[in-house]
Amino acid sequence: MVTATAGFENTLKELGLGEGWRWDKGSWWFEPAEHIDVRDTTEYMRKLEARFIAITAMERPDKEIRLDYQWDLNGQLLSFVTATRDHQIPTIADLSPAADWVERETHEYFAVEFTGRESTKPLMTRAGDAIGINLHKDKEVAK
Amino acid sequence: MSFRIPIGPYHPALEEPYKLELVCDGETVRDATMNVGFNFRGIEYLAERRNYLQGITLVERVCGICSNVHSLSFCQAVEQLTGAEPPERALYIRVILAELERLHSHFLWSGIAAKLIGFKTIFMACFTLREKVMDALSAISGNRVNYGMNRIGGVNRDITDPKAVLAILDEMERGISSTIIPIFLEDKTVASRCKGVGILTQEQAKAMGAVGPLARASGVPQDIRKAAPYAAYDRFDFKVPVETTCDVRARLVVHALEMIESCSILRQALSTLPEGPFHTTPPTAARFKVPAGTAVSRVEAPRGEVFYQITSNGTDIPERVRVRTPTFMNMATVRFTVLGQELADSPLIQASCDPCYSCTDR
Repeated sequence: MVTATAGFENTLKELGLGEGWRWDKGSWWFEPAEHIDVRDTTEYMRKLEARFIAITAMERPDKEIRLDYQWDLNGQLLSFVTATRDHQIPTIADLSPAADWVERETHEYFAVEFTGRESTKPLMTRAGDAIGINLHKDKEVAK
Repeated sequence: MSFRIPIGPYHPALEEPYKLELVCDGETVRDATMNVGFNFRGIEYLAERRNYLQGITLVERVCGICSNVHSLSFCQAVEQLTGAEPPERALYIRVILAELERLHSHFLWSGIAAKLIGFKTIFMACFTLREKVMDALSAISGNRVNYGMNRIGGVNRDITDPKAVLAILDEMERGISSTIIPIFLEDKTVASRCKGVGILTQEQAKAMGAVGPLARASGVPQDIRKAAPYAAYDRFDFKVPVETTCDVRARLVVHALEMIESCSILRQALSTLPEGPFHTTPPTAARFKVPAGTAVSRVEAPRGEVFYQITSNGTDIPERVRVRTPTFMNMATVRFTVLGQELADSPLIQASCDPCYSCTDR
């Protein structure tokens, strides 16, 4: 099991990534009460030469989408937890090209609108297909 | 005059479906657009509708080449949620399976690369060596493709005769040293075909989040086995080959040297395989409930980092299963690597990313 590097939360604070980081089950998590400015965060992570890994989306009970922006900083996994407002959040694909396909995929799976994109072309689906594939709640278990 | 050339989704170089649209001026590629999703199966959606034990079987079918890394990543995440710590012997067996899988994937890639270079003899040599790896995997797991080895809290089968695997390893190492290394590192024809072709600069690799051998051939020294060791990787001594020429030749060299390192890891693991159980007792019940929470797991697959995030709501069915595969990050780099290149080089350049569309599309 991957374990926390002792004192790394202090390193994150010294790097200007804020306070309140906690290690839990394979990642460092930053989950402030207010929404995170994902564009500022992306610019800062690019300055730190961090590597973009993924955006993990999940539907919340209030129907907004929780979004975990994941970055690798010197082998440490950092997760910035935020959420959409009215299913919208600014794009980061222009700041981090690695996020382009991830945003397109998240749009298809969770109907998240990434504002500021020139277009959000289908990636896994085809033009005209319904979006929000993973929002269907028919959670039948295969017997 | 510009020509638009659609290639795929039925592809002349690889058996997997994707579509590449190239815009060419004469023989020179000026623009490229990649279309994927032809093999989309909604694995994440399906995994959120099956229990954890069924999930292991499902995610092993994300990919036909690196199937083991998917079940390993999935099990590691669930183990963090449940606290089921695999025994030491299981961790070693997981490393052995992962490195055998890396070898057979790298042999496959090397064979295809050799064929595209025009070196069909090496294609045959690579596939002959790959058969030995498949024999070892079959002897250990009973299967050549989906091994069914990982379970929550360990592995399903023991390695009862490590010496037999070591004997296969000797043969493989001889083949790599006598055939693949000299051809890929020293042969003039290979060098002239690959040197300076399909450049992905270090800046481009970083910006696109490239992973695995593709990133390491562009001077990015990242490897999850070193950076965030899982299973038993922190017990073994091995190097992470990195090249800085950023071309197809660098990718050949990185793959070849990684095979040598994989053999070294395998030799260490098989020689020092600890005694003891190879799994913890649970879970066997079909309705296996996992405590609520979110866990993340990363594994260095043959093509680079695989990322899994699993959220449990306390039931036997995961609330969310996120799968991000290496080719998903790597394939978008093709639009950089083919620009300004000869059209005839584009199949080799695409293949040099070691693409896996089954993984990408999920």
